[in-house]
Amino acid sequence: MSIFFKKLEVKRVVKALVSLFFLGSLVGLSSLVIGCKFQPDWGYNTGYKPEQPIPYSHELHVGKLGMQCQYCHNQVERSKHSNIPTLQTCMNCHLQVKTDSPHIQKMREAYDAGNSIEWVRVHMLPDHVQFNHSAHVTKGVNCQTCHGPIETMEKVTQQADLSMGFCINCHRQEENKAPLNCTTCHH
Amino acid sequence: MSEIHHDHNDHQHDEAELAAKKAARPKIEKNQANHWLSIDQYMQDPEFQKAVDTEFMSSPLREEEAKNPWARREFLKLMGASMALSTASCIRRPVQKIVPYNKQPEEVTFGVPNFYTSTFFDGQESLGVLIKTREGRPIKLESLTNNPLNQGGTSVRSQAHILSLYDLDRLTAPKKNLFNEKRTNKDTISVSWENADTAIVESLKKGGVYVLTGNIVSPSTQAIVKDFSEGFKATHVAWEVLANDDVRKGQKASYGTDVLPFYRFDKSKMTVSIDADFLGTWIAPTVFTKQYSKTRKDLANMSRMVAFDSNYSLTGANADIRVRIKPSQQLKVAVALAQELIVKQGKSSYAGNSDVKNWLNSFGNPAEGLNIEPALLKEIAKDLWDAKGESLVVAGGLKTQSETSLALQVVVNLLNSALENDGKTVQHKRSMTSSASHADMTSLIDAMKNKKVKTLVIHGVNPAYGLPAKAEFQEHLKNVETVVYIGDRMNETAMWANYVLPENHSMENWGDAEMVSGVFAIQQPAIKPMYDTQSMQITLMNWCFQAKVGPKRIQEFESYYDYLKNYWKTEIFPKHGKGSSFDKNWQDLLQTGSIGDVEGSDGSRSFSVSSLTDLKKPAAVEGWELVLYPTSQFGDGMGSQANIGWLHELPDPVTKAVWDNYASISIAAAAKLKVKEGSLIEITVGKDKMELPVLVQPGLQDDVIAIAVGYGRTHVGSVGNGIGKNAYELVQTNEKGQVLFAGVKAEVKVTGKKYEIAHTQTHHSMEGRQIVVEATLKEYQTKKDHIIHKHPIWSVWSGHQYNGHKWGMAIDLNSCTGCSACMTACQSENNIPVVGKKYVMQGREMHWIRIDRYYTGKPEDAHAVFQPVMCQHCDNAPCETVCPVLATVHSSEGLNEMVYNRCVGTRYCSNNCPYKVRRFNWFNYAKKITAPGNMALNPDVGVRVRGVMEKCTFCVQRIKEGKNNAKLENRPLKDGEIKTACQTSCPTDAIVFGDMNDANSQVSKLFKNERSYALLEEWHAAPSVRYQAKIRNNGKDQIAASGAHEGGH
Repeated sequence: MSIFFKKLEVKRVVKALVSLFFLGSLVGLSSLVIGCKFQPDWGYNTGYKPEQPIPYSHELHVGKLGMQCQYCHNQVERSKHSNIPTLQTCMNCHLQVKTDSPHIQKMREAYDAGNSIEWVRVHMLPDHVQFNHSAHVTKGVNCQTCHGPIETMEKVTQQADLSMGFCINCHRQEENKAPLNCTTCHH
Repeated sequence: MSEIHHDHNDHQHDEAELAAKKAARPKIEKNQANHWLSIDQYMQDPEFQKAVDTEFMSSPLREEEAKNPWARREFLKLMGASMALSTASCIRRPVQKIVPYNKQPEEVTFGVPNFYTSTFFDGQESLGVLIKTREGRPIKLESLTNNPLNQGGTSVRSQAHILSLYDLDRLTAPKKNLFNEKRTNKDTISVSWENADTAIVESLKKGGVYVLTGNIVSPSTQAIVKDFSEGFKATHVAWEVLANDDVRKGQKASYGTDVLPFYRFDKSKMTVSIDADFLGTWIAPTVFTKQYSKTRKDLANMSRMVAFDSNYSLTGANADIRVRIKPSQQLKVAVALAQELIVKQGKSSYAGNSDVKNWLNSFGNPAEGLNIEPALLKEIAKDLWDAKGESLVVAGGLKTQSETSLALQVVVNLLNSALENDGKTVQHKRSMTSSASHADMTSLIDAMKNKKVKTLVIHGVNPAYGLPAKAEFQEHLKNVETVVYIGDRMNETAMWANYVLPENHSMENWGDAEMVSGVFAIQQPAIKPMYDTQSMQITLMNWCFQAKVGPKRIQEFESYYDYLKNYWKTEIFPKHGKGSSFDKNWQDLLQTGSIGDVEGSDGSRSFSVSSLTDLKKPAAVEGWELVLYPTSQFGDGMGSQANIGWLHELPDPVTKAVWDNYASISIAAAAKLKVKEGSLIEITVGKDKMELPVLVQPGLQDDVIAIAVGYGRTHVGSVGNGIGKNAYELVQTNEKGQVLFAGVKAEVKVTGKKYEIAHTQTHHSMEGRQIVVEATLKEYQTKKDHIIHKHPIWSVWSGHQYNGHKWGMAIDLNSCTGCSACMTACQSENNIPVVGKKYVMQGREMHWIRIDRYYTGKPEDAHAVFQPVMCQHCDNAPCETVCPVLATVHSSEGLNEMVYNRCVGTRYCSNNCPYKVRRFNWFNYAKKITAPGNMALNPDVGVRVRGVMEKCTFCVQRIKEGKNNAKLENRPLKDGEIKTACQTSCPTDAIVFGDMNDANSQVSKLFKNERSYALLEEWHAAPSVRYQAKIRNNGKDQIAASGAHEGGH
């Protein structure tokens, strides 16, 4: 009798475990689906707005002073990467301009010591994705298409979710004549 | 099949329909070309059949489960848990920093590579190359097409060179070894450059200085060594295992000049090689391969090559006619040819020379006992004479270093002089740079023994490994007061040196090379020295400066770069430059990488008949004969690149074995000894014994035991230590002091023990279908495109539309020599991991491109054909239809794409791939990559993780780069602008990549070539890779006696 009970118990436990496993995965999956539906930026970094070591303002430089993006991001037209300007580029102006600001002085110190500034990366693509700035910029895609109204940003914020859907939405539109092959981005 | 009416009630009708369908299917032809992959297969071994049947059936889970049945369940449980975790929380990504430059270096654009012209030298040959750098770090060697010698061709070694820069086992700072009085122990401590230099200069001042280097091709380094030797009254000794001093001695005896001629295979219509493996390892194999391939492209004027081969070398594998011999027959072959030509056929100016005739006749009938029919010998001699002035006879290399090496060289010289090749295909004024010699090493050892050497400076070479223990180099090294080793690692020799000074890697160092006389190449550095190292040149200059000795120039310059520049200004440009200003010359040189060309021919020299008649005839050798040979993976014979995993995992071009050396014996010999592959045998040569596994090699002479050198390193580093055995222990020295690498009598004993050799090829059985199409030249000329069997093809697919580009690749099997440079190039370009011997044995090697080698004909006289196979990018790709997660899909440009992010690792695609080109990441190989090895990774290609399938992408990153460059410049893409990594590395230009939608592209034209066919065409996977049939110019009507290509359906 006792053996029978033991067997039954074991069976029950196994059953319970299996159903728990399936329930767990079901909840997981459904929350994944629901999460995606009601929170479009779920899992992405939309709105990411980190503190930078120096509070560089795009609003001031681009919006008010009207500087061209390519003045600082000068390699964007010939490289897949849009470069963060070197300190030398900053110093082109700031050897003269606003030298009394403590932030500029911090930069000046780093410049003179041959060091650099560690900026916090804002826009980051998911793993295994290759993106080419030059191909997009020379085609006439505005910086704002992906980076948002950067000229109004005091502190840079991630606007687009940079998800695959975000890329594909543009690539799919026929007038863009953009490739839709997987290896366009993944290799 | 819409025209067939379906009637489900009528079973008989159904069966008839099925039968009709079956009949309409293309037939699978068995053994059509009589190709076989391994001897086991040829013999229909049941074990092999079993291995074939279970080839792709192993699974880590199943294996784990066999050990522990809970492993799989544990795995599932974990899976459940991790799923719950991933749904419960949303983890913010890690914060990444961007650190821009302080000041922008002018030449650096992020993401855009820079290329530097440079030179690769591996102790044997120098090659002009481009070093590709990204953000200041070298990531790959590319071809430099305007080098007059290699013309863009690269070798396996040069492609793997990048890993030696990022080798973890490189020395990073100067070291000092403290010894006890008898020098039996050591204690390695660090030392500063200053202290080391001061101590060494003190020692140098005492006199008795010897400098031991390898073969130096750099003229400025030669000058520095000369200046140094002058300053310290030092003796310079140059030594290499592959010294080629046999050829130079032969030249001196026959013509009075001690030169290593520059051979012109590109001008030869008829080449006979007697154990000179010029396509694999001899003198300058990459340059020679380039030259040779040029004579094979035009089938109307195709050259012929005959190889007498005592191991199975690459040259033998590519020969139109291959004759297996043993080392003691080399001289007989040469004499038989000379006798046939001069005495029997009465050709050439030596036909009337009675001295020559008498000497040749004194051999009686040398062809007796050779495995060659008299008619064939006659034909070879006739062909040589018909192409006189445009033919070439060569002999040399380690395999000819027997008692008869000098005689062999002299008879070969006689043949070349008789055939009027001297000065034309054998250029002596334009010679190759070679100064190394075995005799000099012997005299150095003598000097050490007699305590004449007080300070010995060794650069680069590794005599403690490359000389057998009985040469007593290491023993007598103890007599030297101060031993200074300049090199990149603590190797077998360095560990017995007092001071070990780390040297810059060649990519960190300036340099130059005189490739052949009159052709000078520059070696530019591509990265700042990574560690506390300095070049050997500046080290010698420093010592001269500190001791204030030597000519002014070695003391006055502050860096080797200044010395080098001055040397070019004063020595090279005035003699060989174009006469413009130095700055212009220098800038041009850095752009093009070299000056000078190889045009023109030299006059003929008079052959000294007395050199011939002075020769003594050799004694006959009976029984087993030893053959030591260098491999094309570890070309210099010194195993200096033995710490590079790529090279160990690169299968030997012929045997396809990896991670080992072994004793190759013929099929008959194995039968006689009653051994199988992997049986350990004990080889005794003189007093030396060595135990090695047997590898049964078709096409070997029955008395030959062939063993590769370059293995068995003990102090090369974590990768290469203890792989294989050091075959130099079997090297003998005869009473004249000659070092013998071949033709020495050996004894063999079967031990009864077993050892497993890992092969890459027996995994890739292709069951004898039309895989490699091969025809004789005669057959091709009469049948033209009928050499290829055409199959009726029907399709169930509607096909794809390719509106833009449609990428395709044409591979010329007639050009491909199987050298395998493409495999290493692919590995470097695409971040392909190395898996190690254990997993190669399980068929888990990761190469995206492999070179299949098939044997044809009778096994004892087997011929080899090579075929590079990579993903065929099929239009109707079988892999695409079975992937459950759409991880492998078809692109609009005809690429079969592999999306790593989507792949869940079902491996259905691999199972369904008829070409077996897909590779699975069984483990997280990427995690094993440690700094600084990660710097060798190509940032344009993703690094794959465990559980992901991968395969050739047609270098999609290069396609994208090419298309983007064209777009940025607002112009259409040019044909030939996009080159895949395998294509650029190929020294024979066998691979052509391009757009099939462009009717004028080279690849489109090649696809229409009458030799063009696709692999397994009858299955109608419609590959985008097409091969061109191999043509063998052997004068026969048909390729094999078994009647290949006649079977049909």
